[in-house]
Amino acid sequence: MGSTIAGARGATLKKYLARPELSVLIILVVMLVTAAALQDNFFQSRSIVRNINAFAPLILLTMGQAVVIISGGIDLSTGSALSLLTCVLTSVMKHDNGVTGVYAIAIALVVAAAIGIVNGIGIGYLRIPPVIVTFATSFIWLGAALFLRPTPGGESVPWFKWFYDVGALPDAPGAAKWISSILPPALWLIIIGVVFWAFLRRTKAGRYFYAVGSNNDSAFESGINTARVQMYACMANSVFLLLAALFFVGQNQSGDARMGDPLTLKAIAAVVVGGIALSGGRGSVYFAIAGALILSLVNKIIFFANIPYAYQTLVGGVIVIAAIASSQAYTLYRRRGALRLKGR
Amino acid sequence: MTVLEATGIRKRFGGVVALSNGNLTCTAGRITGLLGANGCGKSTISKIIVGVYSADDGDVKYQGKSVRFRNPDEARSEGIAMVYQNLSLVGDLTVWQNIVLGNEERKGLFLNNRAARDLSRSILENLLPGMDIERMVFDLSPGEMQIVEIAKALAARPKLLILDEPTSALEKTEVRSLMRYMHELADSGVAITFTSHRLWEVMEICDDVTIFRNGENVGTIDFAKEGKHQDQLVQLITGTSNKEKFVKACSTSRCEESLFSVRGLCYGNILRDISIDLKRGEILGIGGLAGQGQQELLLALAGAYRGASCDAEVNHSPVRLTSPGNAIAENILLVPGDREQEGLFPQHSVFNNLVFPKAGLKGQPLFTPRKRRTEECERAIEALSIKTSDLDAPVNTLSGGNQQKVIVGKWLSFDTKVLLLADPAKGVDVGAKRDLYAYIARQVKEREMGVVLYASDNGELIEYCDRVLIMYEGQIVACLEGDDINEDKIIAASMRLI
Repeated sequence: MGSTIAGARGATLKKYLARPELSVLIILVVMLVTAAALQDNFFQSRSIVRNINAFAPLILLTMGQAVVIISGGIDLSTGSALSLLTCVLTSVMKHDNGVTGVYAIAIALVVAAAIGIVNGIGIGYLRIPPVIVTFATSFIWLGAALFLRPTPGGESVPWFKWFYDVGALPDAPGAAKWISSILPPALWLIIIGVVFWAFLRRTKAGRYFYAVGSNNDSAFESGINTARVQMYACMANSVFLLLAALFFVGQNQSGDARMGDPLTLKAIAAVVVGGIALSGGRGSVYFAIAGALILSLVNKIIFFANIPYAYQTLVGGVIVIAAIASSQAYTLYRRRGALRLKGR
Repeated sequence: MTVLEATGIRKRFGGVVALSNGNLTCTAGRITGLLGANGCGKSTISKIIVGVYSADDGDVKYQGKSVRFRNPDEARSEGIAMVYQNLSLVGDLTVWQNIVLGNEERKGLFLNNRAARDLSRSILENLLPGMDIERMVFDLSPGEMQIVEIAKALAARPKLLILDEPTSALEKTEVRSLMRYMHELADSGVAITFTSHRLWEVMEICDDVTIFRNGENVGTIDFAKEGKHQDQLVQLITGTSNKEKFVKACSTSRCEESLFSVRGLCYGNILRDISIDLKRGEILGIGGLAGQGQQELLLALAGAYRGASCDAEVNHSPVRLTSPGNAIAENILLVPGDREQEGLFPQHSVFNNLVFPKAGLKGQPLFTPRKRRTEECERAIEALSIKTSDLDAPVNTLSGGNQQKVIVGKWLSFDTKVLLLADPAKGVDVGAKRDLYAYIARQVKEREMGVVLYASDNGELIEYCDRVLIMYEGQIVACLEGDDINEDKIIAASMRLI
């Protein structure tokens, strides 16, 4: 009797060990340990806040990208869409008129929704390969951003600092300053993103993202409006884009038509590092956060490891490949351990 | 009470008439069998009823009213559910998530997962007791997937249930429990139509059958009134009374020369110490319950498992079975069981599928004139009587039986020594099955090759094999020869009763 219980417990443990997500966590821990060993003050609160601020835009973009990829798409336009949103925000706002901040957010919300709808129509309804649609739209967003703001700049209302550093606001209540010194606004934005996904995941739409991404035809035959589901995924992505844009404008008090460009492919790489299948249907948005953290820590480690500047980019690429390969190898190893008769 | 009455249904696809005069009546509480060769129109009429296709002409009356559904969703909301031949499951969701997919109940904004789990459990309790509803669907065996597919149809509580070849992936015990459940459903007043290529299933479970041939129904038989006669059914299906008995390739006395021998084949815990001795001119059957390692054995023999170890000899000279390329170079050729996944490039043309295996061989010229290849293809098409509009038609537009012929045909220009057949007649109708085996037997005789045949249908093993090996948990547990090859002995050996 005792042995059967132990057996059952062993089986659950094995099940958890076989989860591909576990390898992501292991890599994340390895990265954290390495970074902490290289950087003396890694665990000091000021350093943590700085890191969270540095990582936040990529984390938010990665979560949005993860939703799109899980639903069977991919979005090559996230970076330029983010740029466009920062330009929209800073074009509407006037520094000395606080109300314009509200207008700016409202207008940015409309623009973000439009971005999602356009990508969604292309991917879902017109059935153009997602890579092509979003590659094309990325130039539209970039063009629009350059039209609004040919050079970096623009104005922001002072209270946008709420999205970045409450301590910098002279008239903020003391309690808010105190909270933000422990939980910086960037973390709040990420938490909003997490809550948003936790909500989505429990709705029909959340279930359908996985169904459509896993097998579009089967989902369609089951009576699911697959085009609409893919559009919803793109619109969910827009929510994360808007959160990232708020943070960016809060941080810089300006807009930049090119700031998002390098983030697009980084976010896609982070999604893959987070154990989400590029083919869709498989993976967890929460683990995409871990993927983004891993990718961000890579840069940090290289910086503190005193690697000559000329090699930093190269080493970064090698580490990313090593991370992905080791996670794949782990999954394969566990799978082989659990190899069973096919027909059972 | 008549639930559904379809009369004079006509449907053409391009130039091909799929259905010229389809009639079908379904009655509450009765199970109606649909029989016919591949491409006879029985799938087409089912799909017209549920709205996958729209009919060119004809009338469908459902519960006394004329209906014309635009899509399966409309039909389902009216109480008609169909189980498709190609499954409509999603691999990355769990069993219960699939069963309610598209029909999720909600509690406020959120999904009601508890209700969904309860519903799934109550349906599967009858169909497949002990099934873990939390498993991911991609982890299931084909048989289990089929049952989940049926459970999904039942979740909509249909008044008319259309089952299109639900048993082709199931093993016998699973078929039995499905049949039991179908009876229960029928007793509760559901009308059911049932399609299968296995005659015994239809004869056992159906109350009446409607037989289709070339897009028309050629007969309806009420079993209670007219009795069950297999010969009569076969005659109606094929249109001929062909009772020619298959002559086995060799009497045991003639097959003595060893052609292909394998000793101590091991692969993980899937294949355990298997030894096979295939004689020249012999058809060697592999039997047993489903999923005992038969498919894997054939794949290992074809060199698909790098981790497998064995000593193999062809014509007494040692060979290494470490990659498919090696095996092909030794002329050990595989016809895999999973047509779409392993055997074909479904979207590619018949031409490409037929010539592809050659392209990977060593020692082929860099360029070969298309004309020569075309001639080879035409020879294959003629030899196997593959029905296709032209060489450039995508292979997935062909019927199942013809797709299978293309897979066999791609090896035709090779100097085959050993042919490995993994369930070649799965989903192939009676007539095409007979053609296929007759062709294989002819080839065995002409080329003096050897065949290893795995068949999930014991009837094929009994009819065509000179020897039958029975597998159980990755081992060979029995070898049946001569008169010992019969249903009783095979089943007894499969379950380790002898």
